[in-house]
Amino acid sequence: MNTLSPPQAAHLTDTPDTVKVFVPAAARAAPSSTLGAAAWIRKNMFSSVPSAFLTILGIWVVYTVLNGFIGWAWTNAVWEASSRRDCLDKVGNAGACWPGVVVWIPNLIYGLYPKDEVWRINLAFALLIVWLVPLWLPRVHSKVAIGLSMVLLFPLFASYMFMGGEKGAIWTALIAVGLTGFLWTVLTAVTETLWGVPVLRMVARKFGATTAEAESRIGQVVLLALFGVALFIVFELDFVEVRTRVWGGLFLTMVISGFGIAFSLPAGIVLALGRRSKMPVISLLCTTFIELFRSVPLITILFMFNTMLPLFLPAGVEVNQLLRAIVAVCLFASAYMAEIVRGGLQAIPRGQYEAASAMGLGFWQSTALIIMPQALKIMIPNIVGNFIGLFKDTTLVSIIGLLDLLSMARAVGQDTLWIGLFIEPFFFITVIYFVFCFAMSQYSMNLEKRLNTGHKR
Amino acid sequence: MIRTLLSALAVTAAVAYAAPAQAQATLAQVKARGSLNCQVGPPTPGFYALASDGTWSGMDVDICRALAAAIFNDPRKIQFQSVTSAVRFTSLANGESDVLSRTTTWTAVRDTQLGLEFAGVNFYDGQGFMVPKASGVKSAKELNNATVCVLTGTTTELNIADFYRSNNMTFKPVTAENENVLVGTYLGGGCDAYTNDKSGLAARRSSFAKPDDHIILPETISKEPLGPVVRHGDNNWGDIVRWTLNGMIEAEELGVSSANVDQMLTSTNPGIRRLLGVEGNIGEGMGLTKDFMVRVLKATGNYGEIYERHVGPKTPINIPRDGSLNALWTKGGILYAPPFR
Repeated sequence: MNTLSPPQAAHLTDTPDTVKVFVPAAARAAPSSTLGAAAWIRKNMFSSVPSAFLTILGIWVVYTVLNGFIGWAWTNAVWEASSRRDCLDKVGNAGACWPGVVVWIPNLIYGLYPKDEVWRINLAFALLIVWLVPLWLPRVHSKVAIGLSMVLLFPLFASYMFMGGEKGAIWTALIAVGLTGFLWTVLTAVTETLWGVPVLRMVARKFGATTAEAESRIGQVVLLALFGVALFIVFELDFVEVRTRVWGGLFLTMVISGFGIAFSLPAGIVLALGRRSKMPVISLLCTTFIELFRSVPLITILFMFNTMLPLFLPAGVEVNQLLRAIVAVCLFASAYMAEIVRGGLQAIPRGQYEAASAMGLGFWQSTALIIMPQALKIMIPNIVGNFIGLFKDTTLVSIIGLLDLLSMARAVGQDTLWIGLFIEPFFFITVIYFVFCFAMSQYSMNLEKRLNTGHKR
Repeated sequence: MIRTLLSALAVTAAVAYAAPAQAQATLAQVKARGSLNCQVGPPTPGFYALASDGTWSGMDVDICRALAAAIFNDPRKIQFQSVTSAVRFTSLANGESDVLSRTTTWTAVRDTQLGLEFAGVNFYDGQGFMVPKASGVKSAKELNNATVCVLTGTTTELNIADFYRSNNMTFKPVTAENENVLVGTYLGGGCDAYTNDKSGLAARRSSFAKPDDHIILPETISKEPLGPVVRHGDNNWGDIVRWTLNGMIEAEELGVSSANVDQMLTSTNPGIRRLLGVEGNIGEGMGLTKDFMVRVLKATGNYGEIYERHVGPKTPINIPRDGSLNALWTKGGILYAPPFR
């Protein structure tokens, strides 16, 4: 019997068939002392006396903490009560008093937003998710356009859904632009998934366009028609006004950090490029802006924008308080982002710039096509870290009286019925913050893995 | 520290720039806007409490409700602004709030140098001590050498130092900036007594597992007259706030309440007839209607009703009124409204 495997056999065909081949004996089974859970535990947890001691100590600590926590949050917790006094009469301080948090959940999520109108917030966020879905669909090609349209146009439409009230001619047009972006995104996602062609081009081809020029011309007409449809829909919409004063809770936190996140990245890129620019005025302006906003605490900037700005504006000019906070957060975040981007730009070897120049690319082309894609990839951990920080920093708006998630949680313990109930709502919002920040961090890891194709060593 | 500095800076700037913001009379602005901008603080039980259904209520909130009722005949026409204490005066000075009604102590410096106008007192508070009943302490004078839990960065810290110095006693302060931390220390036995404004002590005590195990000592070591505040310079608006508050106190003294205000319209008592606008013309003189107090009483009731509803013994806050400063002058307190004539 010849035990050679085919490739070796092929290699050895021109030699006589009496070749001695080494056949390894079958591997013996591992000693039973190194197999299975028991062995793993012995090796990793009880390999020596100190190790065994630490293991036991660790188990004891974990057990005590978990036991205490579960006892408080679950076993001894009160789930039905009409006031904190009820809870205290039942279990004293031994168990959590969840009913107070439960009745406050709508406020923790939506602030004092009228409960009859909350569906508008839900609908707007549902639209946002629909807008985001195409970015994950593999067959959709216009991802950049869809992403940009979302960042630029969603706020136009959403702000009307959130605020409602009277809409003048310009306002109506802007809302319709936002809605147009949404319709276009949905249609494009559908046509690209089914037929691999963006909707505008597809319609243009249906109308017999053959050249690229004709396609874009008809495409523009189609877009205009979409805008007309959107305008018609917007005319029909009539939402009750909800003043930003009553916005709050998680909703407000998301609005502020959403604006901050969406604004800070592009603004940061522009500022970083400006700071590195060889044009002295631009460089000086950008450096001044960055250094000014980075060297002042966010709380101070919020304070300045909130209370000092109205003093300097002419009488009668009123800038919405929330808008002031959003602008302050955006400016602050973009100053930080600018330095992160600059760090990323500096990590790109000089050779890349020279290679780009050698290929005849100008400044904008080499920045957009060669430098930024590489730099942004390096910066992902920092950028996402900044986003996470920004999301949590928005709690500072409570100092200027906006009822964000943290302020709402504080308010629970000041409700006459639930007076002194602090730990439970704080625990609840801790979970909310964790879920959001962890999701962002996971997304960043995912993004890194997907993009980290060329440099893995 | 930063906050203190900032608020000082902001208030200075606000005073300097406040003039142009008042080009138009506040009452006209409020009427044109269709709602009253009422500044309260972060939710505080009894005074400006936020309920889980999103409504504000409390002693100070009812001042605003009364004003909205007097102006619009609708106590709901209010935009509540919950502002932190660091920026409260700036927010009033820059014209964002029409009235500040949030347990603010009337002091000489605030009244004279910050461009503010105090429109009266709706609650007489004062700093006191809470001790565990088991300690057997019956008077603050027995607290020599005691450790006392006190909030930093507030006047409570200064008041207690004054109190001990003037009584030749010593104490060991345990300080924290966060009230929850401080109360936790007190309940954990970290200090012998907890000091704060008495209304705050009462509200806190109601949140303990066993409120009856703690007593609030009788001594009041500071004067904290709390009341609504408006900007300097618009005297008519100040009058409206002052006389709405006075009207509610006067109504209690005259026995007019939300329940009997309609019957009282036919009363022959000249004081009641003037208060309700059946005789005289006090309301129209201020730019309101003759019967503005009828509107107020229907909306919020008289002072006594407001007190009982928000901080009285039947509420969780439970601050007894009888014999306290907040009783009417006819009942041993110092609540006294100048005559309505």
